[in-house]
Amino acid sequence: MTDELLPPFTVEPAGPGTYVLVAGEERRVFHCVRDGSTIHLFWEGVAYRIEEQREGARPAHRRDQDGLEATMPGKVIAVKASPGQAVSKGDEVIVVEAMKMENALRAPRDGTIKTVAVKVGDMVGPGTVLVELE
Amino acid sequence: MSLFRKVLIANRGEIAVRVARTCRAMGIRTAAVYSEPDASALHVREADEAHAIGPAEAARSYLSIDAIVGAARRAQADAIHPGYGFLSQNGDFADAVAAAGIAFIGPPGPVHRLMGDKKGARRLMASSGVPVLPGYDGDAQDEATLTSQAGRIGWPVMIKPSRGGGGKGMRVVRQASHFADALAASRREARSAFGDDAMVLERFVERPRHVEVQVMADGAGTVLHLLERECSIQRRHQKVVEETPSPALSDAQRRALCEAGVAAARAAGYVNAGTVEFLLDPEGRFYFLEMNTRLQVEHPVTEAVTGFDLVRMQIEVAAGRPLAIAQGDLVARGHALEMRLYAEDPDRDDLPSPGRVLHLAAPEGPGVRFDSGIAAGSEVTVFYDPLLAKVVTWGRDRTESIQRMAVALERTVVLGVVTNLARLRAIAAHPAFVAGEMHTAFLDEHLREPKAPADPPPLARAAAQAALRLSSTNGRARAASPDPWSSIGPWRLGGTS
Repeated sequence: MTDELLPPFTVEPAGPGTYVLVAGEERRVFHCVRDGSTIHLFWEGVAYRIEEQREGARPAHRRDQDGLEATMPGKVIAVKASPGQAVSKGDEVIVVEAMKMENALRAPRDGTIKTVAVKVGDMVGPGTVLVELE
Repeated sequence: MSLFRKVLIANRGEIAVRVARTCRAMGIRTAAVYSEPDASALHVREADEAHAIGPAEAARSYLSIDAIVGAARRAQADAIHPGYGFLSQNGDFADAVAAAGIAFIGPPGPVHRLMGDKKGARRLMASSGVPVLPGYDGDAQDEATLTSQAGRIGWPVMIKPSRGGGGKGMRVVRQASHFADALAASRREARSAFGDDAMVLERFVERPRHVEVQVMADGAGTVLHLLERECSIQRRHQKVVEETPSPALSDAQRRALCEAGVAAARAAGYVNAGTVEFLLDPEGRFYFLEMNTRLQVEHPVTEAVTGFDLVRMQIEVAAGRPLAIAQGDLVARGHALEMRLYAEDPDRDDLPSPGRVLHLAAPEGPGVRFDSGIAAGSEVTVFYDPLLAKVVTWGRDRTESIQRMAVALERTVVLGVVTNLARLRAIAAHPAFVAGEMHTAFLDEHLREPKAPADPPPLARAAAQAALRLSSTNGRARAASPDPWSSIGPWRLGGTS
């Protein structure tokens, strides 16, 4: 890290979630809140979401090649594959509806469906395993 | 003496907040309605009183005619404003409200049904001399008929649910082999969203612009237009950016378009505020798309240039007042621009992104309006539309309203949920947008490639770390700079908004 290159600075509170950075003659307003291990930062017109990486934390997309996980909360409205069925990369496998929009979840690679863990009407959340590929 | 004693606002989010504001200014009390997850929502706090109407699921709360009319009776409201979306274009709702002896702030049931059936609306417009695209608007809806009609019209074809709006269930099909799948998906979405899966087919025009005419009609048969809006920048057939006047129209085109809008409203026997939507092709010809029988999301840009409060006009007309102005009185000043702030991730295919709003700062300044449905602490749930707020700017000309927008977007802060703010900023800065060269595929053409999430600068990380240490120790007035990396370990960037 290059923290030795940072100028000396102080931070002053300026209301809930709002701060002023004071570095020499420069003052700069920024916004920042913590939510568990996530830090939400708004700096010079851009929002950043910074995750503190914990030991043993599992990567977000572990199942990218082995199957499909729900990416957000929603309701399963179509299941287009069954165990044993061959699928090609890009095939629609599951359709989840959230915020009134259909989101098609597609096969990440060619393969054979091993398990289908949900049925039409199920509510799913982020990380719910929907389908496993062989 | 106010026109109504109490208006029940049958909606949520920014539009419910916005309607309440005008009611307050007119000396009318307001009653909000809310589903279970909305109990502490901003629109509930902004009303004088609020009534629970059911669970999260819209079909059993905001879309339940019985629940809403029941709440209006409990509240002893003498009028209902439906906002947009939900029941706003539902003729049965308008009828049920009238049958309960309550004024409906919008057109009556038969007008909703007439224009809500896009097949019938297309036929009516064609017979009234309003131009329509080549297409199919027949009642036979079997797959074989639609397939052969699509072939007759010629590819690419647009499939549109005959009922509904907001782009839901609409699909462009570019070749015959994709038609059956697209039709099935459109029908499924339309059934789920509108309870009806009849479709209209129209020739798809490449790179069209979307223009629309705001109309206002009173019960005495006066129909006015309040000029046009252009809403060409869309994603998934839903608008993202709207403005007035449209940079695409000459004065002669504008006059013809607005006259067509008035003709469409007259043909429909229209009353109250409505919007006639047109497609403008690259050759400058316009075609009727549909009529929205309600207040439009983007109505603030019309308010900004005309000086009229459209909700106030709606309330006056619903109370039986004649329109106070004639067409010749309408004067428009300057240019207004609106950008919609959505809880969705442009870098992940516009995936909606629910969550809790941890921090919100609204832009302000000359010519800036921020219509918001959220406050710090608000939950953005998966149950409803992801629109959070609208940033509206006015300027003496288009250049000034764009400059004010760019600054306003830099001053708009939403933390906790992923938003499309970065995309809005990219649009405001894009040379094609600044030049007024828009069409409905603008985002796909110009801003498709997701931006790799930029790392926050080292100084920003260090400042954030110091700020959070400050808020956790809560005692010292200042946090000193020092070694920001000593306690936090390695960091990983999770995404941007």
